[in-house]
Amino acid sequence: MIELKIDNKMVAANEGETVLQAALRHGIEIPHFCYHPCLSIAGNCRICLVKVGGRPKLMPSCNLAVAPNMEIETDTEEVAEARRAVMRFITLNHPGECGICDKAGECRLQDYHVRYGEPEPISIEPKSRKPKFYDLSPRILLDNERCILCGCCVRFTQEVSGSHQLGIVERGSHARVERLETGAFDDPYSDNVIGLCPVGALLSRDFLYRSRVWYLEPVRSVCTGCSRCCSVNVWRRNRHWHLRALGEELNRTAYRVTPFENPEINGPWICNKGYDLHRFMARQRVLQPMIAGRGASVEEALAEARRLLSESINPAALVSAHASNEELAAFQAALGPRLAVYSREDYRPAPGEAVEDGLLIRGVKNPNSYGVQALFGHRPYGVINGHDLLLVWGDNAEDTSFDGARVIRLASFGTQQEFTADVLIPVSTTFERSGSFSNFEGKVNRFDKVFDKPELVQHAGELFGRLA
Amino acid sequence: MRKDYWNKPEMGLWERLYIFEVIRGLCITGSVFLGNMWKWLTFRKGALTAYYPEELRSDYSPNNRGRHVLTQRDNGQVQCVSCNMCATVCPAYAIEILSTANFADPCHPKAPERFEIDYSRCIFCGFCVEACPEDAIRMVKEVPDFPGFDRDRMWAGMDLLMNWRPMRDPAKHYPTPQAPLREVPE
Repeated sequence: MIELKIDNKMVAANEGETVLQAALRHGIEIPHFCYHPCLSIAGNCRICLVKVGGRPKLMPSCNLAVAPNMEIETDTEEVAEARRAVMRFITLNHPGECGICDKAGECRLQDYHVRYGEPEPISIEPKSRKPKFYDLSPRILLDNERCILCGCCVRFTQEVSGSHQLGIVERGSHARVERLETGAFDDPYSDNVIGLCPVGALLSRDFLYRSRVWYLEPVRSVCTGCSRCCSVNVWRRNRHWHLRALGEELNRTAYRVTPFENPEINGPWICNKGYDLHRFMARQRVLQPMIAGRGASVEEALAEARRLLSESINPAALVSAHASNEELAAFQAALGPRLAVYSREDYRPAPGEAVEDGLLIRGVKNPNSYGVQALFGHRPYGVINGHDLLLVWGDNAEDTSFDGARVIRLASFGTQQEFTADVLIPVSTTFERSGSFSNFEGKVNRFDKVFDKPELVQHAGELFGRLA
Repeated sequence: MRKDYWNKPEMGLWERLYIFEVIRGLCITGSVFLGNMWKWLTFRKGALTAYYPEELRSDYSPNNRGRHVLTQRDNGQVQCVSCNMCATVCPAYAIEILSTANFADPCHPKAPERFEIDYSRCIFCGFCVEACPEDAIRMVKEVPDFPGFDRDRMWAGMDLLMNWRPMRDPAKHYPTPQAPLREVPE
């Protein structure tokens, strides 16, 4: 533990920490662009300059290790003048098109320009022109004019994802971020550089111009892409900004998915599949309960399911790996003793998908396989067991052979026609309920409700009590 | 005496007698009525209510804030860059904009696909005009076709706002669009 003084306030810092880290941890704000806690220290933006007692020149605080009895000042006129000069330099060729930039509202350059910059540039030279809206990959657009060359994206591909696919080429006002190898920037973690970019240089093609960010609000949720169960923020429209003329359905649409920083599970990153979670949830839904292919009300479908259950001699249940722990507990309490329980995998790795790597992606592509295993054990279903009734819970069960058994289906996604079940009851998705998943290490990660469920769709956790 | 409520009238004997006050009120109403009728009989102005919306006043102040106009560029495209400043500043939440990306025009990669103003909500404060960084939205003094029988039908779309009174900004010069720099500069 090292004691040092920042702005006349005694601060306790750990051995080996930098001044910037110690200051941020104690709520003293020092502006920074190129510093990120998970990346190496580059020290190239120079906005974090501070005054160190006893030294003649200002020092970059991100690259300055703490020492005992150090005296740091972050708000003197000298530091403010240095910040003004650095902002003048960084914005020298910045196009200043915040009005049409997707980053505006969560842009650190915009914030610091308001706080530390000057309203008008003193440069009379025309701004240099660089390639705009360059296709870095099918998912990412690069606007080189907005780039401030902090190198965060480059360091991310080198140090975190390890793909080494980005680099900074050329020099001076021609310097720009570019793919190093010919070929696509197809890193499975590539979308993280969008959030990492402190300015609007790296843009998500999916979110491009869909909404200004201040119309949206994040809701904490969990990615269902694999058994890592990364924490994510799902961005829905803030209720003050609900749309009327442009379509009510946009108010029930997730605009984008970003990582929620969770040091125990995923850190500040998620993979591209997590960034596509809102598209996964926007697929065709089942919305109408059905009995043998005909539409029915929820009560009729439940009555028919109860009748099938009471008539059955040897019933079984196939439990979804997308079920939350709370739903599994409700199932266990209501139906567990009466049914033979099998576990099933709703989703398997898609062709070409990254199956497993050392960073985040796991081979099991369902969020709660481990919660199911903890309760019921690992028991895949086989047709030899001679069950005459199956309660099949979860998606993608249509290609499984049930060997003439009667089937009660609880499903979220699919078209009505592809279901051949005797009773079909639509159930809610992860976005429409709150609960928790247990990931592959047994860590429990909770998620909140993002949207209300459609009217005829039921929460699976509330169904089982009515089926028993 | 303490009043039962703050503006309880204090009535004297004359008011308490009631009938004389009623007659006095009828005299006031009748004199206004007869005065207006005399103006109408002698064809003078200011006598009648205008039958809005069939009849419109012609003497709006030039500063009156009426219906919005979306200005156009020289090529007839809408000048709006869909920055949503007007929608953000609008205190009545009356403006909704759907944006689209158009990289064929490198000077204006972002443009509105739909621009809707809800005149059942608009309070005509003019903040949208002040907030606009592009002089893309203005308000003119005329107020045509505002009344309606249905709140949901009082939306004005981009076609209407651009074309009911086409306006341009001759002072505003745009650089001629250059080809986007896609290749590596030599």
